[in-house]
Amino acid sequence: MTGATVGASAENGSMHITLSGEIDLANAVAVEDEIREALSNQPEMVSVDLTDLTYLDSAGVRILFALASRLQALRIVLEIIVPLDSPTRRLIELSGFESLAALKPGSR
Amino acid sequence: MSTPGEPSDIPAADDNRLRRIESVTDAALAHLDVEDLLGELLDRVRELLEVDTATVLLLDSSRQQLVATSARGIEAVVRQGIRVPMGKGFAGRVASEKRPVIIERVDGTNVLHSILREHGICSLLGVPLLISGTVIGVLHVGTLVPRQFSDDDVSLLQIVADRVAFATQSRRVEVDRAAAAVLQRSLLPARLPVVPGLELAARYIPAEMGGVSGDWYDVFTLPSGWLCIVIGDVVGRGLHAADVMGRLRSVLRAYALLGGDPTEVLGRLDQQVQHFDPGMMATVLLAMFEPSFERLHLSSAGHPPPVLALPGRPAILLDVPSDHPVGVPGGLRRRGTTINLPPGALLCFYTDGLVESRDTSLDVGLDRLCASVVAGPVESVCAEVMARLVGGDPPGDDVAMLAVRRQDSGEIGPLDLVVPALPWSLRDIRFAVRRWLAAVDAAPRAVADLLVAVGEACTNAVEHAYGPGGGTVTVHLELQLPDVLATVRDTGRWRPPRGENRGRGTMFMRNCSDDLRIDHGPTGTNVVIRRRLGKETPQ
Repeated sequence: MTGATVGASAENGSMHITLSGEIDLANAVAVEDEIREALSNQPEMVSVDLTDLTYLDSAGVRILFALASRLQALRIVLEIIVPLDSPTRRLIELSGFESLAALKPGSR
Repeated sequence: MSTPGEPSDIPAADDNRLRRIESVTDAALAHLDVEDLLGELLDRVRELLEVDTATVLLLDSSRQQLVATSARGIEAVVRQGIRVPMGKGFAGRVASEKRPVIIERVDGTNVLHSILREHGICSLLGVPLLISGTVIGVLHVGTLVPRQFSDDDVSLLQIVADRVAFATQSRRVEVDRAAAAVLQRSLLPARLPVVPGLELAARYIPAEMGGVSGDWYDVFTLPSGWLCIVIGDVVGRGLHAADVMGRLRSVLRAYALLGGDPTEVLGRLDQQVQHFDPGMMATVLLAMFEPSFERLHLSSAGHPPPVLALPGRPAILLDVPSDHPVGVPGGLRRRGTTINLPPGALLCFYTDGLVESRDTSLDVGLDRLCASVVAGPVESVCAEVMARLVGGDPPGDDVAMLAVRRQDSGEIGPLDLVVPALPWSLRDIRFAVRRWLAAVDAAPRAVADLLVAVGEACTNAVEHAYGPGGGTVTVHLELQLPDVLATVRDTGRWRPPRGENRGRGTMFMRNCSDDLRIDHGPTGTNVVIRRRLGKETPQ
């Protein structure tokens, strides 16, 4: 079974979600549910850190799109932290996701 | 009773004694198995000594308690599993004092279990079961009427006890040996895992005499793609050593799964043994191969170092610092070693039985081993080592060896997978593809691209190829230098993707390959992905 961990923390009106492990068709719905449970309508900003994600494909990118459109409706700003030159970043860029949220390289 | 022709100078009492002794030393009893023999002896004892009950209690493996094992006239003691601690009660006293004990009048002070009193036993005679001076149990007889046991009664019971002790002991040894052999055989991997990129072979030869010992080897992969090789040797022999070996093997696997380098895994194992198996000791060598197999990390708990052979070079002993064996309290911090494993290199792991024997010193054995190992096919290396180090002599100690060779990227054959078309298969497919790509030395970017391209093709098959009845997905990867050719096939009837955001998979596949062909036919869908092995970016 594909394994991913969803971490969540909040500070000063912003919410930080960390995804690590692998996301594919097998666990995409579970990961999406976990993210949804971790979020409230309170924060002004949500950042999703994909630095420790070792595999992502269209099943995972679909989660990001769904999250982006939901947050847009709630007027919550979304940013994605994903290292430059990572396979994950390349797929997200290919998908045209940048029109919905900012991609940041993160601290690492 | 005397009949014509018998010597007439034997007094009746002596004649009677002889008859009694013959009755319990009867050679015809020898063919009975132990349970039947005990039962028959107890029946005869009851008759000869004119007693009502006869009971055998055996010392358990902890040597702390006597357990009722066989009984006549008082079968309930066996059915209820009556136990008597050493030194306590009547039987405990016989065992701890190692001499016959007589109780003429049973009361609450001289027997431990009320069962003897409730049964109405008045008098008891007990003798120890001894094997070379060591107590293994107690034989006692009891009467329902008061009785004064004579010296003759004591002597006769001791003769029976010796026979019981001998039969019990030889059966114990036999059972232990058989159980240990079965256990050992069931715990060694029946078949080594097939790992693309590595060649593996192993040998295990039990010692000729004295039963199996606790030698073991193990090969397993971790979800992270790391591969672990373990070789170890539990100090001691027989069932107990094999039992501890089995536990160490499972515990080590579990600790490796938790993550960490070999020093951490061996450290946890050490703690475990010290706590749960105090007094046990084992030497263990743990080697963890990075998923690419380019490097391995080792730590040794007092185990002899592996032999490394590089292509075209003489084999050498690896310089792995040897730390304290597991199970030894108070050891210093464990040390780890990292070595590079170039393509074609071979490593040989072994237990000391291979290099140490009655007439060969360790140094001679190690020299001989190094001289026998080359960076060649693992099966021939094992055969050569066995021929030169074990030869035709019966080994005095167990011998275990395991050879592993990193294949050259040119030797890697195609990868073929057939998995159920289920979401859970996707992770297994990635795992196998990652490993195969590492073995053929694919560039990191090519690995990432092919994982996504093959992953998307498999996801499509899982989602769209089959109805509720399900089916399988076939994945085939082969080298067509300078490219990798990946084929993903299903035998279902394709239906257009459903749901939002689902058309993206094909776009990812196209972008992650240099060439992509998707054929939806009446017999299934065939996806052919071509991607350069090197670092070039596809356009």
